[in-house]
Amino acid sequence: MLDVINLSGAEIAEKISSKALTKEETASFFKKRIEQFDQLLNCFVDVFEEYPKSCGDSPLSGVPIAIKDNICIKGKPATCSSKILSGHKAVYDATVITRLKQAGLLILARTNMDEFAFGSSTETSCYGPTRNPWDRSRVAGGSSGGSAAAVAARLVPFALGSDTGGSIRQPSSLCGVVGFKPTYGRVSRYGLIAFGSSLDQIGPITLNFEDCAYLLNIICGSDPKDCTSLITENIDYAKSLHQECKGLTIGLPKEYFGQGLDSQVKDSLEEVRSLFQRKGVSFKDISLPHTEYAVATYYIIGSSEASSNLQRFDGIRYGLRSGCSDLKELYFKSRQAGLGDEAKRRIFLGTYSLSSGYYDAYYLKALKVRRLINDDFQKAFKEVDAILTPTAPTAAFKLGEKIQDPLSMYLSDIYTISANLAGLPAVSFPCGFTKEDLPIGAQLIAKSCDESTLIKLGSLYQDNTDFHKKMPPLEKYIKNG
Amino acid sequence: MNSYETVIGLEVHTQLKTESKIFCSCPTTFDSPPNTNICPVCCGYPGVLPVFNQKALELAIRVSLALNCQINPNVYFERKNYFYPDLPKNFQISQYKMPLGHSGYLKLASGKTIRINRVHLEEDAGKLIHREDCSLIDFNRTGTPLLEIVSEPEINSPEEAFDYLRYLKLTLIYIQASDCDMERGSLRCDANISLRKKGDKILGTKVELKNMNTFKGVKAALEHEVRRQAKVLQSSGTISQETRLWDAGSSKTVVMRTKEQAHDYRYFPEPDLLDVAVPGAIICSEKTKIKELPLEKEERFKKNYGIVDKELEVFISNVWLADFLEEALKFYHQSRELVNWVLGPFLEQVNLLKLDPPQVKISAESFAKIVKYFSEGKMNNLAAKKILSLTIATNDDIDEVIRKEKLIQVSDENGLIAFVDEAIKENPKAISEYLEGKHQAIQFLVGQVMRKSKGKANPKVARDMLEKNIKEAGR
Repeated sequence: MLDVINLSGAEIAEKISSKALTKEETASFFKKRIEQFDQLLNCFVDVFEEYPKSCGDSPLSGVPIAIKDNICIKGKPATCSSKILSGHKAVYDATVITRLKQAGLLILARTNMDEFAFGSSTETSCYGPTRNPWDRSRVAGGSSGGSAAAVAARLVPFALGSDTGGSIRQPSSLCGVVGFKPTYGRVSRYGLIAFGSSLDQIGPITLNFEDCAYLLNIICGSDPKDCTSLITENIDYAKSLHQECKGLTIGLPKEYFGQGLDSQVKDSLEEVRSLFQRKGVSFKDISLPHTEYAVATYYIIGSSEASSNLQRFDGIRYGLRSGCSDLKELYFKSRQAGLGDEAKRRIFLGTYSLSSGYYDAYYLKALKVRRLINDDFQKAFKEVDAILTPTAPTAAFKLGEKIQDPLSMYLSDIYTISANLAGLPAVSFPCGFTKEDLPIGAQLIAKSCDESTLIKLGSLYQDNTDFHKKMPPLEKYIKNG
Repeated sequence: MNSYETVIGLEVHTQLKTESKIFCSCPTTFDSPPNTNICPVCCGYPGVLPVFNQKALELAIRVSLALNCQINPNVYFERKNYFYPDLPKNFQISQYKMPLGHSGYLKLASGKTIRINRVHLEEDAGKLIHREDCSLIDFNRTGTPLLEIVSEPEINSPEEAFDYLRYLKLTLIYIQASDCDMERGSLRCDANISLRKKGDKILGTKVELKNMNTFKGVKAALEHEVRRQAKVLQSSGTISQETRLWDAGSSKTVVMRTKEQAHDYRYFPEPDLLDVAVPGAIICSEKTKIKELPLEKEERFKKNYGIVDKELEVFISNVWLADFLEEALKFYHQSRELVNWVLGPFLEQVNLLKLDPPQVKISAESFAKIVKYFSEGKMNNLAAKKILSLTIATNDDIDEVIRKEKLIQVSDENGLIAFVDEAIKENPKAISEYLEGKHQAIQFLVGQVMRKSKGKANPKVARDMLEKNIKEAGR
């Protein structure tokens, strides 16, 4: 058996196509690893006995992929890690799933997440938290914590996550993998169980930028089933791999390097900057003046949309239904029992923001601020090709550290939220380790529809660094019992 | 009661006649078994997204134009949030701040104009079926495109409300935007009603009335509400702002919810749908699809054909019949005779054979020919009716059928003399009655001749011959 663990998804596909490996061997290799290590991490909510049928060919044919539990796979449960969807099976394939199947990927498992993607630590999941493979006492980040930790631990070559305010990038940063959020509308949302419809975007979580580019090639593209999907020509992101970046300019927004930023993260970002500079990339100090309002804006818009999106979980047609004597009780009891604390908090917040008498002061105001944040970026991108920031203020924090303090939890997304509000493509990639050997992530943001520049820069960075090749010390836990 | 002025505003919901639903591709057919015209999208399954049906926009624009509305150049949808089991997402995709059409009007036959406040597009909800031990939901209707047409509060009596509804319904049918079948729920009406002292400028407290299933029901509910509110006001009471349900059984309205229980719908822009810029080309092409409107037709039918009152009502409310009449008029110009024949024998046959309009195969030309033959005395009434009954569902060649059935009228005395003689010989009692001055006895004898000639005899000629022969014999 080959040393599959050190192979990227694209390399595995190559071995399968040259018959050095079979699809079945690959799948069982990863299944064995999941069996061995997932009890330590809790990345998966379901590992399939029977794989959804896929056909077709691509540079990733035959490679296993894991899917966040909020993306519909026909015939498989889709629960958003919420009790209220217990027992619910998807009756159709999300467009991304159809595309993965057509590209011949093997859909291996569903991954754990914060309930309905509400959270930054995967601690709000009804299946219990996912642990960070670099330190089991720490969180994997969230909400796509299961996907990020699974990829980091090499339990699956890559995974799909979803990103509403940083839910792909922040856990990727905390777990030391590449997490890419495409431009809003680049990937169809059809079949993604909605949190904030105007913010949600599906994206890949991979070990490196090669796999990221190949997965983007598969999942991006317009979809008649999602009218917010962008109608653009197909782009081959693999063409941006291993290219020179001389002449590109990166902006450093001062608002992203101030108070609250861990000094070790700050130092790592400084090194990212010098590496790029050595490769002929120029840097420019910029300002995104409305950044300080991003978190508040995001929590109003996201929660408002979520409060409405989650109304369909009422116990009537699918999912959990509590015993009741009348209709009102059916609604109350089912939602009371089925939804967790954070989901309820967001529903309250969103319902309040949309209520008559408060709408103008909250929701409408937030929409206006969103426009200003968008304008900040538009202005910045007149001068720079990309923006470099930390992904998260700190490396992975301890389990339980922030779960009782929603506001501090919300601040975990302080650097990632703006890209969602402005609909911009952004990626987090590993750029170093703390003294405690915890991964640090850097974030690059590009202008709308310019994913290629992010692939170019990220790939150049990884061609010159090894952070993404380092393995988390999982064996140590097994040895220690 | 006369010291009060009634103020009514009507809110009409009408299903648009599209083949598929407004946000998915499910069919909109009415008669399908429960929960067969459904999909994950209209059932609000997790992860689905709506896709706007352009056809619904076109029909909605047509309605707005027919109601003389301004069209908003930018259409967007909002979510109306409330929990109810017939609404699978627990929000309805609707329009709130910017309706598709606004500031229109509808003219009534009385000459009065009722202004239309707004016309907006939304999705219909499902249907609840309550059983003794449970409630069932049929989602077939969920997502049918629905248009809400809201009048200004300037209807001043239940009769006027009835009139408004009649013309609105006819308008929608004329422009082929909706079937407007209240029994099937493709037209529904809620009413807002308040009373104020005559001369007052400020509107009284309004009450919303729901659950009226027919136009007559709307009128009855309004009449009841006028009486109820007047009684309250006369006894110095106050009207409370509330929603009341019409109970057709007891002919009463009962409180459904008070102002305090009113919903806060938390409207906000639907993030899953993009704004739609209404192309000028659609407005132009929809304009061309609006032909003659009901009031215009009324005027023309009165003026050109002299049709009035009940007869006019039949033609105005039955476009197909009116079109048939006008088509027939191209081939035979005697409008009065054609009108009589259309409303008489033609409708009789249609009802007798239980024909739907598409099953009526006779061409207007053939029909006109039958009426013409009758008027010219070529066929008697009986024969003409028989030809009509034979050809109404086939459109076989009239002359051919007449030949085959040997129904050409016999007006020639030589051809009738044998029948006349026989009739006289066989009915001495009738003869003596006639001779005694009972002139109606002749009618019986004419009938005998008709029978013997198998309906072919020209009754007028037969009568003349009978009278002449009896008189001669009596001499």
